Amino acid sequence: MRMKNNLFWTALLALALVSCRGDGPRVDIKSEADLAGRKIVTVAGSYYDGKYSAQEGVDMLRVNTEADGLMAVRQGLADAFVIDEVMFSQETLDQMGLEKACSGEECFPCAFAFPKGDDELLPAFNEFLAQMRQDGSLDAHAAHWIEGGPELPQQEENAVKRSDEPIRYLIVLTTAPICFLKDGGWTGLDVDLMRRFAAWYGRPLQVSDVPIGSAMIALQTGKADVMSGCLFPTEERRQHVTFSDPYYYCRPGIFVRSGATVARKPLWERVKNSFHQSFVAEGRWKLIVYGLLMTIAITLLSILLGTLLGIGFCAMLLSRRKWLRGCAEGYSAFMQGIPTLVLLLIMFYVVFASANVTGSFVAVVTFALFFASSSGTVFASSIQSVPRGQWEAGYALGFTKFGTFRHVVYPQALKIGFGPYVSHCISLLKGTSIVGYIAVQDLTRASDLLRSQTYEAFMPLLAITVVYFLLAWLLRLMLNLAMPKK
Amino acid sequence: MIEVKHLSKTFVNPDGSSTTVLTDVNCSIGPGEVISIIGPSGTGKSTFLRALNMLEPPTGGEIWFDGENIMAKGYPLEKMRKRMGMVFQDFNLFPHMTVLENVIFAPVRIHGIPEAKAREEARELLHKVGLSGRADSYPSMLSGGQKQRVAIARALAVHPEVILFDEPTSALDPAMVGEVLSVMRQLATEGLTMLIVTHEMKFARDVSTRIFFMNKGIIYEDGTPEQIFEHPERSATKAFIQRIHKQVFEINPSSPGFDPFEMGTEIHRFCNKYAIPRCAEPATEIAKEMVMKHLRPYDNLTVRLTYGEIRDVAELDFMIEGLSHTPLTPEMDLSRVRSLSKELIEEPTSRGFRVKFRL
Repeated sequence: MRMKNNLFWTALLALALVSCRGDGPRVDIKSEADLAGRKIVTVAGSYYDGKYSAQEGVDMLRVNTEADGLMAVRQGLADAFVIDEVMFSQETLDQMGLEKACSGEECFPCAFAFPKGDDELLPAFNEFLAQMRQDGSLDAHAAHWIEGGPELPQQEENAVKRSDEPIRYLIVLTTAPICFLKDGGWTGLDVDLMRRFAAWYGRPLQVSDVPIGSAMIALQTGKADVMSGCLFPTEERRQHVTFSDPYYYCRPGIFVRSGATVARKPLWERVKNSFHQSFVAEGRWKLIVYGLLMTIAITLLSILLGTLLGIGFCAMLLSRRKWLRGCAEGYSAFMQGIPTLVLLLIMFYVVFASANVTGSFVAVVTFALFFASSSGTVFASSIQSVPRGQWEAGYALGFTKFGTFRHVVYPQALKIGFGPYVSHCISLLKGTSIVGYIAVQDLTRASDLLRSQTYEAFMPLLAITVVYFLLAWLLRLMLNLAMPKK
Repeated sequence: MIEVKHLSKTFVNPDGSSTTVLTDVNCSIGPGEVISIIGPSGTGKSTFLRALNMLEPPTGGEIWFDGENIMAKGYPLEKMRKRMGMVFQDFNLFPHMTVLENVIFAPVRIHGIPEAKAREEARELLHKVGLSGRADSYPSMLSGGQKQRVAIARALAVHPEVILFDEPTSALDPAMVGEVLSVMRQLATEGLTMLIVTHEMKFARDVSTRIFFMNKGIIYEDGTPEQIFEHPERSATKAFIQRIHKQVFEINPSSPGFDPFEMGTEIHRFCNKYAIPRCAEPATEIAKEMVMKHLRPYDNLTVRLTYGEIRDVAELDFMIEGLSHTPLTPEMDLSRVRSLSKELIEEPTSRGFRVKFRL
């Protein structure tokens, strides 16, 4: 009954959101100067973020992705969105009820970023760029992706295979036409260029997408070889990474609500469209399914490993040796004191920096360590809340210490601790939604990708809301079924 | 059967200091003996009992059980505990099992008795302790006295040679003490070896074959109930045996707030505490009538309620300071207070005159 109610409310909320179109007044902006006094939105950490937040009289809203920026303007949370002007197709803008008000004055170079001190890939890449610039194919490349010009002929593979080791390439932007998913693979202005380079250079290419903050760390800690996504070489960035020569020059665009009333299709049509765009087109549902499997795998493995570790941790907490107890208490204080995300980043970029392990492995280890502390504490406090007299009664009847624990104390502790344990499991499930930061494509990351691909915010969010809810419900059901009755 | 030699136990306190509870306990216990361990609180009675089955491992000495030193390193304690049952002050029933499951638990798990047979035996035992109707109840549904009887059945279920009773009635309401004691009385007549730490003197005297009087960490005096209760040899034993519980109420000009009804409440509390509820009503009535009516003119009055446990005598007396003759006059109608008491005694003392009612 409760479940039905929850679903009902979720559905109602989603419908309300889907039907709500940007109805804020149209804002008159003709040049960059008109931005003064306006509320503008930028992508956090982007070049424009730095540039405009230094300007006086600008009220700045920072969002994580381009899709969020569009949404913020559409919903009237901000007046204008400043971002690279090439970022959105006319179709996308129409669909969102937005338009480009004007372009910025300055032109910015875009470049690929390499780790500091890279003396292999960077020179080669610059040489490749120079070649392309010289024979005009660099301009043709841009013309193809930005203006829809003819496609370049396929890059010839280098006859010499330098290595089977792939070039680990991170993209920090996931929008057309720069970097986007097509037919299940990444492509776009940047990705295609890098792919051509890899072929020319003679190494395979491995593309993954991560938020820009993690990408910077990955590059610095040697977890990646190169990154891009409309990156401007700023002074600050140069302190941490080395930039290639520019491969493209780009202007900022200022996007506002178009004021044109979007032709309102019937609600059902819109929901159907939105659903089609988000899940059916280009087989995007595969992303959600893959993410779902990843989330389930990480959660279950972490619970399993974490529970095993938690039993050991519990033994330490209950130990008669003072130093063991001290260690355990310190560990638990540490685990409770730092955010999971920070621990995850530290594990990936520091602890396992040089080890050749996948992000999902690190995620499982991190969450297991985390879960060991919370589950172990639950186990220990449940055992301690069984009165001392129960142990004595067991001993007095002739049971060994283990027998007393197994038959007398454990069944009672289980009753006390099972509820909190299940809660911790559910928390863990929800907590795994941050693994996108270390390039693991879980459920949340899948919905982020969908949103940046389609600019359909609500369908993917609604979908993962429902999926997480069902997962939590299933997990609880499963654990309750698995609970020993005696 | 059990030989105890120079047993000692010292606890180390959290602050590093240590407390010696048992200094040097020696005794020998034969089969079929029913031994009550009595003595002032804090003299190690419970510690001694719990040392016997090693729940409280002693720090020195030896315990021999059936020719084996159970304090020897590596001795499997389970082996001894299977033959030595224990009944705790706080019952320690297993709350997650029904009454019947509590009773068959050890026979099935430890002694490998087939469950059907164990159930049959358990039902008999429950019948014996008067709880055949509660086999499928959970301990939380039972009263204190019922819980303790289940605990006794649980201890009996493994056919132990000895049962240790650690203050089995101390956690019970006075009204429930009797039901537990009568079960134990019955066991004592059946030849089971029993060691009982108790404060129930009358019970100890009636049931025991031997009494250990413990004081200052040793068995201070050891003898038959008659020896210990009637002719104690040592002065500490004597003082303990003859000790009397008392409650005093002072009524004088310096205590103008005296409340006779509160006195009644106190009297009831006293009688409940020492398991003489039969005296509560008469004592209250006599006290009220005397203080508010017959002795009203005297403003320097001490009312005292006493109870001697061993002799089982309760007395209520009224002391009028500095008076040399009886305050009772022929005009007074004393028929009601006389009928409420067994005996009325008037006696002059050095302090003043005392009027005493034996209840």
